[in-house]
Amino acid sequence: MNINCLFPVNHALNILLNIRAVCFVVFFHCIFSSDLQAQEIDILLKGGHVIDPKNNIDAIMDVAVANGKILKVAPNISESNARQVVNASGLYVTPGLIDIHTHVFVGSKDGFADGFSSLSPDDFTFRAGITTVVDAGTSGWRNFPVFKKNVIDRSQTRVLAFLNIAGSGMTGFPSEEDINDMDSHMTSLVIKQYPDIIVGVKIGHYRGSEWTPFDRALEAGKIADVPLLVECHLPLLPLEDILGRMRPGDIYTHSFCTAADRTCILDEQGKIRPCVLEARKKGVLFDVGHGGAMFHFSVALPALKQRLLPDSFGSDLHRFSMNSGMKSMLDIMSKYLNMGMSIEDIIFRATWNPATFVKRPDLGNLSEGSDADIAVLNVRKGNFGFIDTGGNRMEGDRKLEAELTIRGGKVVWDLNGIAARKQFIK
Amino acid sequence: MIFRNRKIQTLSIPGLLVFFVFLLSSTIKIQAQTIDLLLKGGHVIDPKNKIDSKMDVAISDGKILQVALDIPAKNAKKVINVDGMYVTPGLIDMHVHAFYGTDQGSYIANGWDALPPDGFTFRAGVTTVVDAGSAGWRNFRDFKKQTIDRSQVRVLAFLNISGTGMYGRYEEQDVNEMNPVMVSYMINRLFPEILVGVKSAHYWGGDFTSVDKAVEAGNLANVPVMVDLGEHHPPLSIEDLFLKHLRPGDIWTHTYANAPQDREVPVDENGKVKPFIFEAQKRGIIFDVGHGGGAFFFNQAVPAIQQGFIVDVISSDLHTGSMNSGMKDMTNLLSKFMAMGLSVQDVILRATWNPAKVIKRPDLGNLSPGTVADVSVFSLRKGDFGFLDVRGNKLEGNQKLESELTIRGGKIVWNLNGLGSPDWNAKR
Repeated sequence: MNINCLFPVNHALNILLNIRAVCFVVFFHCIFSSDLQAQEIDILLKGGHVIDPKNNIDAIMDVAVANGKILKVAPNISESNARQVVNASGLYVTPGLIDIHTHVFVGSKDGFADGFSSLSPDDFTFRAGITTVVDAGTSGWRNFPVFKKNVIDRSQTRVLAFLNIAGSGMTGFPSEEDINDMDSHMTSLVIKQYPDIIVGVKIGHYRGSEWTPFDRALEAGKIADVPLLVECHLPLLPLEDILGRMRPGDIYTHSFCTAADRTCILDEQGKIRPCVLEARKKGVLFDVGHGGAMFHFSVALPALKQRLLPDSFGSDLHRFSMNSGMKSMLDIMSKYLNMGMSIEDIIFRATWNPATFVKRPDLGNLSEGSDADIAVLNVRKGNFGFIDTGGNRMEGDRKLEAELTIRGGKVVWDLNGIAARKQFIK
Repeated sequence: MIFRNRKIQTLSIPGLLVFFVFLLSSTIKIQAQTIDLLLKGGHVIDPKNKIDSKMDVAISDGKILQVALDIPAKNAKKVINVDGMYVTPGLIDMHVHAFYGTDQGSYIANGWDALPPDGFTFRAGVTTVVDAGSAGWRNFRDFKKQTIDRSQVRVLAFLNISGTGMYGRYEEQDVNEMNPVMVSYMINRLFPEILVGVKSAHYWGGDFTSVDKAVEAGNLANVPVMVDLGEHHPPLSIEDLFLKHLRPGDIWTHTYANAPQDREVPVDENGKVKPFIFEAQKRGIIFDVGHGGGAFFFNQAVPAIQQGFIVDVISSDLHTGSMNSGMKDMTNLLSKFMAMGLSVQDVILRATWNPAKVIKRPDLGNLSPGTVADVSVFSLRKGDFGFLDVRGNKLEGNQKLESELTIRGGKIVWNLNGLGSPDWNAKR
């Protein structure tokens, strides 16, 4: 908007100064105004049900994409200027989904950091409508540059990251126990060095009873002014104290599980613990972080009944979760759909909500001018089953499926060829 | 061999006693054999054993115990009802690139364009992949250590005739690096259980050098050769390739590609299959799909199939450039062939027993009692579906395979809808 306003003013001055400029401006103006009437649209998604929580849109609308950006979201946008029209009727059109808990520092070493236990993001994202992933501290300040070079710079998916307080990230036991390698100053420096990529700090695995690692992570977050993600494999630190130390906007993940290395958010009677409710009131966020062992219906369903909704559906995607009850973030969203959450609520927690809490308001919405990251989703009807990480099953009758994924204005996934230009007739 | 030695050791007196007890218990077992997993009521398609009907499949100790009608459920630890679904041998994807790594200079060997296989296989019913020459004899050990030994899916491989495999397009042109003797040593003496053939690929030297060296290696090692003919200007005659250079049992991949300026194609400009293609198929040349991101066109595949030229093997050419394209995964690819007119039985044959025979691994791709229990269960969705080729052309179809359950070595490694899982609320 600003650019458009300033542009004619600048050129108005030029007109007074230079006749050649007058010619140029007139010429340019002709093209520009004809563009206004006949603005070229690269992709026009027609007739879909748009859910864009940031902009309070929840209605049948068309979405026009031009030059990799959202040009317009409105009812009945004319097809005449569109290079490509995709019929999205009967489908949901949403901002590209954001998975805020993944492990994508894939490499050829053992383990997670630069390792085989992490996964290449593009392999799993677009087919699930995801256009942005946030790595949950697989790297630390020492090896973040390797992560950036090997994975982030080479991925089509937008990869953001939490930086682990452990200097080399998730290198496993015992190196993640080394308090001397948890440097809040260095961590904050690297966060500030890559402000477009690193969105927060993570404290993950620590088996000791000292608070130093936690406090250093918090300290790094304070210096760099970013949230802290608490992955909470911290068996000797009490839940109440962890939540007590967390600040508004900090994120607790693996929220809905009965894993042995933490206190469950529910008490023995299935009631949400008071410290959890207090933390929630304070503004602590609760992420799913499903993973291969960190999501149980026996916690998630009672929590939902007591109105503890997940703020985001982080998948905790890695090698040991990808083929389990988790499968993809879309699968987790389908679980919540069948658990009774509305589709609007689910999309909010998969787009705009995580975008705001990683302080990236440019993402997770379809505002005009923002990057055209879009998911087109289908709600399948049928008899489905969903499994938690304890191998328990919940039945359901609806399931989300990614029909089309657009990243930066480019079709990167097209399940059934709805964006195909030509039909092949046998 | 190892097992035989163990038996000899147990033939001491206490050993004999143990053996006796074992005999007794095994006779009891025959009557009440413990089944670890019983798949009940599915439609079994097992082309090797000519089974195409409703049958139960019993799995015990990681092996197929029995495939028969109405196997009693009472001796089974776990029973899964697969009524209305297809039960097949675990699929074999005969053309993938799985030598994933972080070498920034590399193309596919230890590079970004290859994929770790476990993420794309089980969810598509695949239990065995065959890497199509990503590694050569110089870097195969890295591939084995890095990917093959760490993967749950069975990874076999064609060894590239080029020493460094698919490291880079230029390295693949170096004929001095094409060493049939080293390739055959690697296959026969070092890794006979993993290496199933030789690959010739991406050569643009204007002659058959790469193919001939690969065949020489294939002769030394007694294994088939898979050929991606590369690009030659003018294009080489594929009639010569099929009838003069390759042997029966050798494989032509990227069958339905369509870039005739670089590589001759089987279907001519008028949509007619060239007559020598049928002759080649009769001679025993194996035709493989190798879909990939650039090697599958409806305007080749559809007329070919209509005129009776059908590939022997359906494979994906899985790599970074194909995974999110028209290819997607093996279930999508098989469904695409069904949209072109093949039956479920046709496509299962071409992704199980056919590739097993081609790579001379008759222990795979079938459900014979005693074989490793690699099993896939598919449902067949009905609806309006679309399938894309590599140029974005769409073919409509009304059915699509979906992988419900995948079993590798008797273990469930993929369960889409939680078949056979307890209800979360059962105890409440």
